[in-house]
Amino acid sequence: MANSNLPRRIIKETQRLLSEPAPGISASPSEDNMRYFNVMILGPAQSPYEGGVFKLELFLSEEYPMAAPKVRFLTKIYHPNIDKLGRICLDILKDKWSPALQIRTVLLSIQALLSAPNPDDPLSENIAKHWKTNETEAVETAKEWTRLYATGA
Amino acid sequence: MDENDLNSDHVNSDTTVDDDDADCYYDFFIKGDDPMDPEDAKSHQGSGQKYTILNQADMRKRQEDVIAEVSTVLSVSGATATILLRHFNWSVGNVHEAWFADEDDVRKRVGLLDYDKQLSDVNAGDRASCGICFDVYPRDRIFSVGCGHPFCRECWGGYIRSAINNGPGCLTLRCPDPSCSAAADRDVIDMLALSDDDKKKYSQYLLRSYVEENKKIKWCPGPDCEYAVEFDGGGGGEDSWDVSCLCYYSFCWNCLEDSHRPVDCQTVSSWLSKNTDESETKIWILARTKPCPRCQKSIEKNGGCMHMTCNPPCRYEFCWICLGDWYNHGTCNRYNEAADVEADKNREDAEKYVTKYTHYYDRWAANHSSRQKAIADMQRVQSMQIRRLIETQGKAGYELLFITDAWEQIIGCRQVLKWTYAYGYYLPENEHTKRRLFEFLQGEAEKGLERLHECAELELNQFLVDYGRPSEGFREFEVKLKGLTMVTRKYFEKLVRALENGLSEVQVSGSEEIGQNIPMTSAEG
Repeated sequence: MANSNLPRRIIKETQRLLSEPAPGISASPSEDNMRYFNVMILGPAQSPYEGGVFKLELFLSEEYPMAAPKVRFLTKIYHPNIDKLGRICLDILKDKWSPALQIRTVLLSIQALLSAPNPDDPLSENIAKHWKTNETEAVETAKEWTRLYATGA
Repeated sequence: MDENDLNSDHVNSDTTVDDDDADCYYDFFIKGDDPMDPEDAKSHQGSGQKYTILNQADMRKRQEDVIAEVSTVLSVSGATATILLRHFNWSVGNVHEAWFADEDDVRKRVGLLDYDKQLSDVNAGDRASCGICFDVYPRDRIFSVGCGHPFCRECWGGYIRSAINNGPGCLTLRCPDPSCSAAADRDVIDMLALSDDDKKKYSQYLLRSYVEENKKIKWCPGPDCEYAVEFDGGGGGEDSWDVSCLCYYSFCWNCLEDSHRPVDCQTVSSWLSKNTDESETKIWILARTKPCPRCQKSIEKNGGCMHMTCNPPCRYEFCWICLGDWYNHGTCNRYNEAADVEADKNREDAEKYVTKYTHYYDRWAANHSSRQKAIADMQRVQSMQIRRLIETQGKAGYELLFITDAWEQIIGCRQVLKWTYAYGYYLPENEHTKRRLFEFLQGEAEKGLERLHECAELELNQFLVDYGRPSEGFREFEVKLKGLTMVTRKYFEKLVRALENGLSEVQVSGSEEIGQNIPMTSAEG
């Protein structure tokens, strides 16, 4: 079973995530698989996602920490670097991954990505185009989606 | 006078007349003792060009040599020199220049940190916590690449392995700490890699980097060939880029396509893209087919009457001539001025164009496959026939080298002849004198080569039979084959030069003279 042989690093990271959570972020392992985490990130203040609660899933493969965790948004979000399946375009999840990074640093980076969308390196072409041609309107759409999909309603 | 006499006569007089430029073309072909079994890197030097074929050991040797050079001059470790050379595309000159201009800047760029932080700066005490597995270890099980970020040896091993498995990026491995740019050099890999297999892969990447990032070295593009070619100067202008690898693949060092004298790299590129270009197919379709008037599918008429029935599901029946509906048809022999003259004209042009292209392409391809066949034949000749001749004719191996020479010549000439067809295709239609001269020269080249090819392939057979004593005609055969080889070689050399000069003699002295300048025996007279 995956849980029986859990590396010490993962246990330590999990303990720390639970005992000293980063502001605006919560991550807790699933009961039947300690490598699968349910994550919630609060939309950062002064961003179009403010007031939203975004659910994500995070999975640590057998190679972790030599390979990056797999992370995906479960809540619909209007963001140029996140596609409609919730996949995230973030360098540290790909070639810039380092085993010295952690779940915590990954989630903080995703939170920062919500504060600073980067339409020049898009995952979702249409949203990025919208962002570049009419940022005010794109931000309005993002706010609208936040209200529609990311508030407990 | 028989054929042999004629040939040898001509050869003799020819050699004495202008022996000096005899090696300008032929030198591209390998003249080694045993080209199949290279002991050392082989250099080829001819008029202006020079290249060397390198095997794995040669490449490693060269790589170690430049590393040692930089290491000595800069007083740095071999591993540091390796990092510097890799960064500067293995150019010793560029490393020196950059280093002596601004050492600090170079160090920063490649991650060679000049400070030597002790572990204690970061983690006081005898024990430190690994930044990857988070376990605490005694100092001797912790390692850092001079920057002080502590990671245990096991985690380093895993980090190195995953980098190596991710590809050649492992050559620029840095400290695992994302904020740190300190380089992990090959000494670190050697010390901490988990297995010999990892070390071997790393060293293979390092060697590949030496070849692939080095401006003077390229891999031979021949199938399954493991040699690389180092090219020193030359090339462009008067010089040739032609390289002949020990695997018998000959190619242009500049564009990495087949050797293609006398045409230039640009022409080769257009010709090859034309050969694969779909538009050629479209033109063919336009020239040979008509669209069904109802469903527009292209139809090729390959015989029969004019009553056409399109394939199911269309099944439209129409007249091939006027494309009118068959049942309202009657006759269409009356001239109709309103008929689509334009369309017919287009079709005619296209057909003419396709015919021209097909003409040149067929011949280009035929020489290509003939060359492939000759390469296979030569290997058979070397492995079987020569051994047989040693028995039947009582000759020593070196006395039979002329046979290999002949085959190498055939292979080389097929290559040239093949590309003359691309040359011919692009020769402007309106330059009539040039075209006529070109076609004459090409025709002669073809005749001469056929003669040589036939002699090497067929006439040799009679001497393979063992009569218990050397055959009488063998000496004559030797003289004839040597003669044909020499004559063909010289002819092709001059042909290549003439074509490379764009047949410039046409304006100067007309076709007569160049025809005479290029000697080709005509044995049958």
